[in-house]
Amino acid sequence: MATVSKRKADSQVPPEESDLLVIRPLGAGQEVGRSCVILEFKGKRIMMDCGIHPGLSGMDALPFVDLIEADEVDLLLVSHFHLDHCGALPWFLQKTTFKGRCFMTHATKAIYRWLLADYIKVSNIGTEQMLYSEADLEASMEKIETINFHEEKEVSGVRFWCYNAGHVLGAAMFMIEIAGVKVLYTGDFSRQEDRHLMAAEIPGVHPDVLIIESTYGTHIHEKREEREARFTGLVHDIPIYYASSLAKKCMAVYQTYVNAMNERIRRQIAISNPFVFKHISNLKSIDHFEDVGPCVVMASPGMMQSGLSRELFESWCTDPKNGVIIAGYCVEGTLAKHILSEPEEITTMTGQKLQLKMSVDYISFSAHTDYQQTSEFIRAMKPPHLILVHGEQNEMGRLKSAIIREYEDDVETNIEVHNPRNTQSVELYFRGEKTAKVMGSLAVDPPQQGHRLSGVLVKRNFSYHLLAPSDLSKYTDMVRSTVSQRLSLHYTGTLQLLHFFLNQLSGDVEAIDIQGKKALKVFRKILVIQGVDMVTLEWNASPVNDMYADAVVTVILKADSAGISTKVIPPIMKLDKMHFTECLMEMLADMFGDEAVSKIVKGDRLFVTVDGKSVSINLRNQEVKCEEDEVLQQMVTTAVTKLYNSLTPVKV
Amino acid sequence: MICFRCVECVNKSRHNSENFELFTLDDVDAAFDKIIQLKYNQSISLKGKGQGISVTPLAAGHMIGGTIWRIIKDGEEDIVYAVDFNHKKERHLNGCVLESVTRPSLLITDAYNAAYNQARRRQRDEQLMTNILQTLRNSGNVLIAVDTAGRVLELAHMLDQLWRNQDSGLMAYSLALLNNVSYNVVEFAKSQVEWMSDKIMRTFEGARNNPFQFKHLQLCHSLPELNRVPDPKVVLASSPDLECGFSRELFIQWCTNPRNSIILTNRTSPGTLGRQLIQNPNQCTVTILVKRRVRLEGAELEDYMRKEKEKELEAAKLKAEKGGDMEDSDSSEDSDIEMEVDIVGKAKHDLMMKTEGKSRGGGFFKQAKKSYPMFPVREEKIKWDDYGEIIRPEDFMILDINPTEDENKENREENDETLQDITEVPTKCVAVSQTLDINASVQFIDFEGRSDAESIKKIISMCKPRRLILVRGSPTAIDSLASYCQNSGLVQGKVFIPKLYEWVDATTESHIYQVKLKDSLVSSLNFARAKEAELAWVDGEIVMVEDEYLIDLEKEELKKEKEEVEEEETGSRELIPTLQPLPTSLVCGHPSMFINELKLSDFKQVLLRNGIQAEFSGGVLYCNSVVAIRKNEAGRINLEGCLCEDYYKVRDLLYEQYAII
Repeated sequence: MATVSKRKADSQVPPEESDLLVIRPLGAGQEVGRSCVILEFKGKRIMMDCGIHPGLSGMDALPFVDLIEADEVDLLLVSHFHLDHCGALPWFLQKTTFKGRCFMTHATKAIYRWLLADYIKVSNIGTEQMLYSEADLEASMEKIETINFHEEKEVSGVRFWCYNAGHVLGAAMFMIEIAGVKVLYTGDFSRQEDRHLMAAEIPGVHPDVLIIESTYGTHIHEKREEREARFTGLVHDIPIYYASSLAKKCMAVYQTYVNAMNERIRRQIAISNPFVFKHISNLKSIDHFEDVGPCVVMASPGMMQSGLSRELFESWCTDPKNGVIIAGYCVEGTLAKHILSEPEEITTMTGQKLQLKMSVDYISFSAHTDYQQTSEFIRAMKPPHLILVHGEQNEMGRLKSAIIREYEDDVETNIEVHNPRNTQSVELYFRGEKTAKVMGSLAVDPPQQGHRLSGVLVKRNFSYHLLAPSDLSKYTDMVRSTVSQRLSLHYTGTLQLLHFFLNQLSGDVEAIDIQGKKALKVFRKILVIQGVDMVTLEWNASPVNDMYADAVVTVILKADSAGISTKVIPPIMKLDKMHFTECLMEMLADMFGDEAVSKIVKGDRLFVTVDGKSVSINLRNQEVKCEEDEVLQQMVTTAVTKLYNSLTPVKV
Repeated sequence: MICFRCVECVNKSRHNSENFELFTLDDVDAAFDKIIQLKYNQSISLKGKGQGISVTPLAAGHMIGGTIWRIIKDGEEDIVYAVDFNHKKERHLNGCVLESVTRPSLLITDAYNAAYNQARRRQRDEQLMTNILQTLRNSGNVLIAVDTAGRVLELAHMLDQLWRNQDSGLMAYSLALLNNVSYNVVEFAKSQVEWMSDKIMRTFEGARNNPFQFKHLQLCHSLPELNRVPDPKVVLASSPDLECGFSRELFIQWCTNPRNSIILTNRTSPGTLGRQLIQNPNQCTVTILVKRRVRLEGAELEDYMRKEKEKELEAAKLKAEKGGDMEDSDSSEDSDIEMEVDIVGKAKHDLMMKTEGKSRGGGFFKQAKKSYPMFPVREEKIKWDDYGEIIRPEDFMILDINPTEDENKENREENDETLQDITEVPTKCVAVSQTLDINASVQFIDFEGRSDAESIKKIISMCKPRRLILVRGSPTAIDSLASYCQNSGLVQGKVFIPKLYEWVDATTESHIYQVKLKDSLVSSLNFARAKEAELAWVDGEIVMVEDEYLIDLEKEELKKEKEEVEEEETGSRELIPTLQPLPTSLVCGHPSMFINELKLSDFKQVLLRNGIQAEFSGGVLYCNSVVAIRKNEAGRINLEGCLCEDYYKVRDLLYEQYAII
């Protein structure tokens, strides 16, 4: 926190009191890939996703995390297991100073492990400068905590929970609440129920800020039935393989986390596991594949950067009888994106040129929201602020203007749409309302104008409670305790001598007996007990009492060293009334002139006349009376009290 | 889901031996549609009548999905309902999180285990292991009576792991799980990994090994199936009380053989056979009622048939009156009808009828009754040969008394899971009292997965409820726990011990209202840290202000707040009490407070870290041999020493341990 406050030294408010909420995409700002959004509010820093760019490699693929201090991130939330959302996570967890906590759903964590292991293997061939190794990945598993859908967690005052996003198994939308301000981060989501996942849920609470993906911008998807028909029209009645060891590994995860899927699957599990396939078999590797006769091979990676899908593509692309179906969104710079533009030839991984003769189809099975769903989702949420991420610049721009157009005639709703570029921050202000709950005996009387409240304010994670001190242990787990002190110090003199000295310090020194020992009570708080060649001080600790004790200690030390013979103990000094009267008269004469002060003291009263107004001063209790002028009375009172206090020893 | 299976199984096993009519499986299904599933720590706010109340389930251990309920009113008054919790981590479950709930205004818990202390887990595990090994080596069988879907997972997982262990020497023997839904239970367990312990989750994430993908545990659904499992074997069978289900049947079969061993894992309710055996471990004989569902035979069967037929006709009549389509007659009745047809013989009609050939259900009868003009007659030509009339041998065969037998077999083959399902055969329940000699060893090893007396007390002392309601448990157990809680000052408020059907008035006067804090007030405060909270002393004055910001921008918010505020002061509308700082001249000071409870042992570490020698001697902490710190019974800390630099150094460190306001 120290560094934070240093940096913001110019603004007077400490970060945890500031009303400024900053959202800053470090990746996926006007681009697709390397999702990473930073949220800062009230001194808390949350990172949402930490992906890599599939079209880039090495350090270039990372989001711009060098713009933040990793150790200042309190919380890292990962929406789902795709590389562009969690690809940089092992690096961030293991190779930076990050020391916050990291959360994802159970299924995401299980698949993350295998997906990234596969990624490491695949990219080992291509790039030298690996971001992390298998060992780093393994170690990162320890640091990742899991969260269930709808389960509420709290980390240093930040409350968060997640909803089903319907994008892939375990994909989550995170709702984050800091000091009453709610931010919803959708990650990738789909509002269309598919064969195994439910549609993204619509949260029951309205967020103040909605960070939403915009991959497909203003596109409208074709219906699932049509899409599936088109797919099965291209392929039918031939053996089907899923050619990825990864898929095989992850199948166990799919067979286990059926609870994160839709109703249909959950019902089916009661009969048999729907992820135990009858017609689809696993292909261990390309070596096990006999390329005879027609077949369908589902191979990864989806954008054909490398790996099995790339190998198969290269061996099949020259034959017009073959076909490739791109089944998901393709990022700029990948082969899949390239062949969608129907080039004449392509470059293989070895640099060779090959003619592209096979048919190329694009049937999207990637569960991303389209404009229809996005618009419906925004309508349900009505967030005052909308932040677009995870979309290619033009798509995002189109989506932004479409949404603005949709609400331009709507007076009721006011949605501000932001589409920040990478590293560009969106600054929003949320005026924090601080309300405290008054509880227990303090709250017995209902609040009224002018009612005074004194008590302990307990602040816990942005919530305030006001309690009477006696109720503290009733409503909180905190306990009041007492600390008593006994301090012994060397003193050889008599108690009478000490009494004399202490009397100069304090107006009320009492001589008492404690269990046969002579003792003095000073300031009514501090006991001075005489022992052999020493005295012991006893008191209950508090800042005021400690101060008194220190004063008493000083007096005792002085008395010890003063070396006044014990025989001539001066009598205990009483307040010299005459001295006080003299001083008072002198002072008043200085204030109002000699003639104003009467020279005679009547009884205990002294009179002063100023501008014909008479002021009477009671010398015994320092009461000042002046019927005619209140200002004058106040003035004299102050003067008298100050004088009295400076002349007499301290009284409690 | 597990609960579903459990109910289903209990229902089924009951059905196998007696008539059970409280509810049917359909009722179970219907009830399930009404249940809302929550995750742990998922808060749900009630609507309508329950406005302002939110409910949160917390993990309770004990069983998969075991829950402690936390009910919160207006964010402040919280009621915690915690029965059957287990704070200890187990193989398949995490411990409960009750100790993290601090200062609930009301805790409802049970005293079931309040007078019971259990042996350490390791000891119990060893006991089980020894028992199993001895019995198996002696070529006897082990029956472990467990529940259907809860605790069985712990035992199954533990035993399967034991079997996997090469050194255990158990590989040679068999291990089986026997109950009506064992397949489903295990399948569900596999898909509920996210509800289980961290360890299980880690193994799954790391190795993709589903811990409930058993290697050695064989799943059985019936006794014949179990008989195929070679002896000697260990069988986990339900139910735990030996009152019904396979465990009872196996008990009857096995208890006479001295080689066998019967292990009870649960102290079931008094009066059950299981409890009886636990309480009288030396009992030699036991007289039990053997209940069995048997097929109807002879006169009873005929009687049943006749009644069924009448019912059938009645139903058919009703249907005919309704004029509905006859296609969907109740399938369970099918068998009877077809059987009927078989007995009558296959007569062909010479008149063409519309529904000819349709042998389904009531339709046949209805039509036969209404529209046939005459009995179908078929003239058979009698053929003769040299030896006389040619006969059909079938005509002289003795009719099978129980013609449904075949069908039932088919049924079985079709539906392997419901082997025990004999609902479609006319049956009745009989009970025979039988005296059995118990020669097998009977042992109780606690695998209930509940916290015991000592832990319960500790947990209550950690969460310090303001009031306590105790339910369930023997009167002595309840009383001892109640007096413990009251005498030790754990519970400051009342401890209620309601009897059955007794109402308890546990309402408390809770005063609460909200005030807004002026920024000038907040910025003037000096906060001191204590644990996770920050504390400050406030001297303030309430002013009632109309807040424009709220009115303009957050109408909804305002409404909410208004509701809360208006409970206190009806009539004033947009007035929000706001706390503003008192002018310093009016602040009259307050006694300072030390907040926190110091543990001397913790403080010792603090001292050592700051280069001060600290040592305990007779409960007193001596620092650098010049300053002594002691703590008396009332929790008061006493700092003693002579005037020296160390005294003030220690005192400063001591003060740092407190939030002083």
